[in-house]
Amino acid sequence: MWVFLLRAILQRLVLLVVISMIAFSIVHLAPGEPSEVDPANPRMKPEDIARIRAAFHLDEPLSVQYVYWLRDLATGELKSFKDSQPVLPKIWRRFLNSLPLFICATLIVWSLSFPTGIQAAIQRGSPFDRTTTFVAYAFISIPGFFLSYLAIQWVVDLFNVPIIGMRTFGMENAQPAFRWMDRLWHLVVPSVMSAIAGIAILSRYVRSQMLEVVRQDYVRTARAKGLPEESVIYRHALRNALLPFVTMFGFLLPGLIGGSVIFEQIFAWPGLGRLGYEAILARDFPVILTINFIAATLTLAGTLVSDILYAVVDPRIRLQ
Amino acid sequence: MNVKRALILTPLILIALLLQSYFWVPSYEKQSVGNPARLRTYIEGSIADAKILNPILNADGASSRITDFVFDGLLDMDENLNLRGRLATDWSITEKAYLLARPEITLPDGSPATGERLLEVLSQAQVNGNLPELDGILLSLRLLPAGEKNETLTLVEPDEQGNPSPTSVEVTIRTPPRVEFTLSRVDQDFFTRLTPLLGAAYFQDFPYADHITVADAALREKVQPQVPALLPVAEHNPVILFHLRQDARFHDGHPFDAGDVKFTYEAIMNPRNISPRTSDYEPIKRVDILDPHTVQVTYKRLYSPAINAWMMGILPEHLLNEAAMGKEMAERGLSDAARASFGMRDSQFNRQPLGTGPFRFVEWQGDEFIHLIRNEDYWERAPEYEHYYFRVIPELLTQEVEFKSGAIDAYGVQPHQVARYKQEEAYQSFSSLGFGYSYIGYNNRNPLFADKRVRRALGMAINVDEIITYLLYGEGEQITGPYPRQTEWYNPTIPPIPYDPEGAQRLLEEVGWQRNSEGWLEKDGQVFEFNLITNNGNLIRANIMTIAQDAWKNIGVKCNTQVFEWAVFLKDFVNTGSFDAVVLGWSMGIDPDLYQIFHSSQAGPQQLNFVGYTSPEADALIVRIRQEYDLDQQRALAHRLHQVIADDQPYTFLYVGLATRVLDKKIVLVERAADGRERYEKIYPTKSGSIAFYFNKWRKLEFTPDF
Repeated sequence: MWVFLLRAILQRLVLLVVISMIAFSIVHLAPGEPSEVDPANPRMKPEDIARIRAAFHLDEPLSVQYVYWLRDLATGELKSFKDSQPVLPKIWRRFLNSLPLFICATLIVWSLSFPTGIQAAIQRGSPFDRTTTFVAYAFISIPGFFLSYLAIQWVVDLFNVPIIGMRTFGMENAQPAFRWMDRLWHLVVPSVMSAIAGIAILSRYVRSQMLEVVRQDYVRTARAKGLPEESVIYRHALRNALLPFVTMFGFLLPGLIGGSVIFEQIFAWPGLGRLGYEAILARDFPVILTINFIAATLTLAGTLVSDILYAVVDPRIRLQ
Repeated sequence: MNVKRALILTPLILIALLLQSYFWVPSYEKQSVGNPARLRTYIEGSIADAKILNPILNADGASSRITDFVFDGLLDMDENLNLRGRLATDWSITEKAYLLARPEITLPDGSPATGERLLEVLSQAQVNGNLPELDGILLSLRLLPAGEKNETLTLVEPDEQGNPSPTSVEVTIRTPPRVEFTLSRVDQDFFTRLTPLLGAAYFQDFPYADHITVADAALREKVQPQVPALLPVAEHNPVILFHLRQDARFHDGHPFDAGDVKFTYEAIMNPRNISPRTSDYEPIKRVDILDPHTVQVTYKRLYSPAINAWMMGILPEHLLNEAAMGKEMAERGLSDAARASFGMRDSQFNRQPLGTGPFRFVEWQGDEFIHLIRNEDYWERAPEYEHYYFRVIPELLTQEVEFKSGAIDAYGVQPHQVARYKQEEAYQSFSSLGFGYSYIGYNNRNPLFADKRVRRALGMAINVDEIITYLLYGEGEQITGPYPRQTEWYNPTIPPIPYDPEGAQRLLEEVGWQRNSEGWLEKDGQVFEFNLITNNGNLIRANIMTIAQDAWKNIGVKCNTQVFEWAVFLKDFVNTGSFDAVVLGWSMGIDPDLYQIFHSSQAGPQQLNFVGYTSPEADALIVRIRQEYDLDQQRALAHRLHQVIADDQPYTFLYVGLATRVLDKKIVLVERAADGRERYEKIYPTKSGSIAFYFNKWRKLEFTPDF
């Protein structure tokens, strides 16, 4: 077990360095330069641009720039090109903004998918099953941004309340309860919208897992023993059907970063996904690379966590 | 069964918890009833967040929107786009001029042009009144002794990768004796007026080699083009004297004075701060503090738009000087490497700016909002609004939705939305001409477009009205030349190029193009064919391409269109000049200087005259305009320049867009009578089309007033 852990971590560290190198080269190979260096400003002279390039180390070879980036990242002195602010605190603040959206959306996805999926599996072929199947495929095929616009238009026209951003403006002096509820309300629509595709996919997955498990011999045995149907489904079948989902927890981690770029953009949510997106548009290399680095770290950590979880919940699997 | 119950109850509870929050949120109608502060709050929506809240460092619209509120400049533009004093109460422009002695040549009276002799001849002329044009201009003159100074020049050469890399060159300049003239106003022809006394050859063939030594002999050749500027035979030094406001204070109570002006200038020129505005201030030779409320700015050469640079916000010296920066570095515990490169760009000041302006900075949440609060201590009347919020909403549709639910008061309305709002009762809308225009630029170096009749014919084939009606929903006006329409520089007498495809056909036939069997124009076996390109992300430009392509097809011109990503578009096509024609736009300033866009010297790679327009008359006019300090003269010259460019048609000038603003009708202008009573007026635009000019008097009422 410990050997496995050590080896897995070492492998992932090497992989992380390789990923960061590849990401670094791709980001720098993309056409365009940081907007600060962009000669679109008619009053900038070549020597001004050269000075800015030098300050950003853009005039050095790529390998040297990579070392500079790693050094600054390690010492925490890495600064954004855009506003010269330290990158790590910047990412941390945005992460805290993204977190409630992510948690809320995940709660909705997981709490809604299971009952729907299980019910659809139990009553296979029933009107309920067929309706959920249809709705699920509809939600999978309609782009999320389109649904979001419809939802925004509908809510605003019908209820006349603001739903964009993290809170309503001008609420600073209201009572705390109102302020918190206002923030909760602003969470509702974006998290439901970003959860929709997840619900559709996950409930389908739950349904097929259940269907597979229900056909197993031990389920038939349980029924033959005369156990009540509910006990058969929820105790014997569900537990075994849950196995693959345990590992999916691990893969939730990277979703923290890339999961909501589109929804953060549409709902003006000042989160991490938008920070990354805007950094790419402005060619803000330090921010892009650091976010990428964190995403890679989380993904690798996620795979490790799922490996371990799998071994923990499934006695048939041993790590070596 | 517990599991089943939990599986069903959890989502229900979760959804109920989420949905009940709706009942706590203020709706549009309830907003001002439960929350009166909302009426004294102005919330503006913006696509982009600010980048850096420092007037000398920012280069983007969002940041300057905020810094314009927080900082005051010495000057700004009044209702009619004339300069107006802000932190400066008034100013005057005079000139010091210098003339080098040239003992090696003789004056028309036969004597050698030594310093003493020059002074004698010129003083006599002044006393005797030999040169009547100088009366009232020339105040005094004196002789300055010879001197020597060292200077460091910067040479910019492309390195192996083609990126500009600067090298420094030391030069020694030995200045001969000079005559200094004090003039009552700036006169670019001053030295021409002296020609009868000095002789026509005086200003030619100056022996620079005798006066300038380059330390690194290998670089002598390369430095050569910069040498005449180092030691001009005749030098104009315009001088601006600013009298500063005595009652202005920074938001922390610190009084504003001349030291802050000088500090701001020095901060811009400090290479460590990497200011994008250095070139605006580069013409300045010296800034002198005459007393705490008087500043004298001396310029190196004639450049009349230079005064506009003083519209930029003035920084508080006491928060950004060496001592303050040292303190900040110590507080943040920076490493030595970080300290060595620490400049104003790194300071926390840029996240929490402090100036003398009508609003004080409170808070900035990145990509969410910037909050300002009114400056009760403002030297002019404090604004009516107490709070100003700059909200970042990166999506156009979302902005519209927020506007309709009352969560923002204003945003950049799109042309297609304007028509919708105009029909609704609750809103007032204002359209004003923008400072930008769109054009189709032809690569003048391409033999295909060398004849100006061809360029004119291509313009005649395009129906600009159609573009304005269908692409801009009527929110635009046709233009005829290179200046913004609402400025005085624009020549209103020039007729636009008519839409006349037959006329275009005839013009092209004149040049020798004939239709071939397939219907395309052909000359010497060559079909009239070229590529029209633009950047992606701008739907209107892409549509203009399609309209132009179709219009030209009708007169037999074959045009292929293509759209490129902005960075690629600039790097591979525009900067290198390797394109046939482009659809692009300029965002113009308020000054009449067109040097960078139309002067023939600016047609190199990476420069802005990328269409390669050359005209000796336009060149002369452009240079004269930027050296002219008299407004009437400048206007006449600009009108002539407009005429010349309109005749040459280096671009097909298309249209200037209308910027439309939509506001709630409840927002009005508040005028206060002497007894404190309020009077409400409908918001109206200035002559130049700006409605925000009177922003400090705006407020939202509880009711919709009748005007």
